[in-house]
Amino acid sequence: MKRHGEQNHYELMEISPGASPLEIRRAYKKIFDLYQDDSIASYSFFSERERREILARLEEAYLTLIDAESRAAYDRGLMERGLLEEEKQYHDKTKDPVPIYDFKKVHAGAQGPLKRQEEMKRRAAQNPVIQSILAQDRIAGADLRRIRMEMDVPIEEVAAKTNVRMEMLRAIEEEHYDLFLPRVYMIGFLRSYARYLHLDENIAVGGYFKRVEERKQV
Amino acid sequence: MSNIWSIGGGKGGSGKSFFAGNLGILLARKGYRTLLIDADLGAANLHTIIGIPHPEKSISDFINKKAGTLEETAVPASTPNLFLISGAMNNLDIANLAYEQKMRLMRNIARLPYEYILLDLGAGTSFNTIDYFMISHAGIFVTTPEPTSIENIYRLIRSVYFRKIRQVVKTHDFRILTEEAGKRNSSATVSHPDVFLQMVKELDPEKGDTLERELQAFQFKLTLNQLRKQDNPKTGELICKIIERHLGLKMSFAGNISFDDHVHDSVCRKVSFVDCYPYTQTALDLRECCRTLLEDVEKHAIVQAVQKRVDA
Ligand SMILES: Nc1ncnc2c1ncn2[C@@H]1O[C@H](COP(=O)(O)OP(=O)(O)OP(=O)(O)O)[C@@H](O)[C@H]1O
Ligand SMILES: [Mg+2]
Repeated sequence: MKRHGEQNHYELMEISPGASPLEIRRAYKKIFDLYQDDSIASYSFFSERERREILARLEEAYLTLIDAESRAAYDRGLMERGLLEEEKQYHDKTKDPVPIYDFKKVHAGAQGPLKRQEEMKRRAAQNPVIQSILAQDRIAGADLRRIRMEMDVPIEEVAAKTNVRMEMLRAIEEEHYDLFLPRVYMIGFLRSYARYLHLDENIAVGGYFKRVEERKQV
Repeated sequence: MSNIWSIGGGKGGSGKSFFAGNLGILLARKGYRTLLIDADLGAANLHTIIGIPHPEKSISDFINKKAGTLEETAVPASTPNLFLISGAMNNLDIANLAYEQKMRLMRNIARLPYEYILLDLGAGTSFNTIDYFMISHAGIFVTTPEPTSIENIYRLIRSVYFRKIRQVVKTHDFRILTEEAGKRNSSATVSHPDVFLQMVKELDPEKGDTLERELQAFQFKLTLNQLRKQDNPKTGELICKIIERHLGLKMSFAGNISFDDHVHDSVCRKVSFVDCYPYTQTALDLRECCRTLLEDVEKHAIVQAVQKRVDA
């Protein structure tokens, strides 16, 4: 087995190069669980910095592979270095010859936008993990991410649907305060984020800023 | 040859003795001739857990040469097929054995005629503890779902792993390898034992193969003890996964053991838990754990047999 730092995106996510987008998403969720903030299994093993690095690497792998274009480019790079054979690549036969995968289209096509919205609403209201997070007094960036993962919504989908830049969404989830814009903007971003995930906007925004204020003081 | 399992944990009170004692009873009940050795010299309490209030003989009789053989110091427990070598000491001074005494003890343990030998170790990563893993076929690491206990387990596992490596790689080479590994891995504060294996393989393929076989022959196992309702039942699996991904070694999960107030009660009454409260979730968990461990033994034996044939 290769060392963690040297693994390619597929090895890192423990999937085959032929994995379908659905498999990629599942694998991401599973491995994400391993390193997320309230996992005592990883808390005791890594420093905070190490864990952030791993999560960043994981997210990079996920975002690269879930997008058809960037995945194709990444695969080409692997093939040039002799690390991947062409026939092992993922190939979506049902979609020939349109782009391999586009989450917007798949969600629209496979489920219909309305049905998906309903499904999301149901999850937001019923999922016990989400409910327990929303019951907290303070809501951390990692909590928001956790909710998003529970709802199975990729970050790029939030970015596309809310028009909030991806870097900003990430800054919110990772609490990179130095990247924050003035507060009024941030509140707006958070509202869009919460609205898209069918969360109570006031609870999400209020809980988040309570934490931000506290963290900024220390 | 007997199957020797070391039962360790980084932290005191995680339940090593409780687990060892009850596992011993379960193995014996399945008909295996089983020996429990209380290797926590000076703080021995395993006898109480299996319901032998005052063992007549103990390991110190062997160390002081009052008994001719180690085998003579084993006393039968009330469960058929189960025996105990108590670690109770009347003289605290000898809790830390001299090197020669320790070697003699290890040699003699490895020769005892039982099907299963369970070693109940003291807490911590001292050399006294780590050495027992070297004569064992498996290490069962017991932790509670608390960060401090888990942290210690990682440290202990890493120590055992490095100790295994040092058994194969000479001290001089080891120092060179440590430096080299440090260079290759300078950014990480976590040391990666698998870097070592990789390097040994590059520098000396033959030694690398020996080391790899040695490491494969030893099984790392984990149980999560004192799990309460609010704890995440997946934590044990996650710990194994982290170890596999970041220490590069295979660790299999033997199961969760629920927390139960009756444990305290059974210890106070000096009766074994699985006999006293067989219908509790905790007793069920212990039986399930025993079953998993025995299944692993079979699987492992098959893999090793195939490996031998491939090598030959
Ligand atoms: N599953 C359990 N549920 C409730 N209590 C438990 C459980 N397991 C162990 N205990 C309690 O935890 C305490 C410590 O257990 P035990 O003596 O087995 O730990 P240990 O790891 O051997 O400790 P030491 O390092 O001191 O030898 C005991 O009081 C025991 O009754
Ligand atoms: Mg003990």
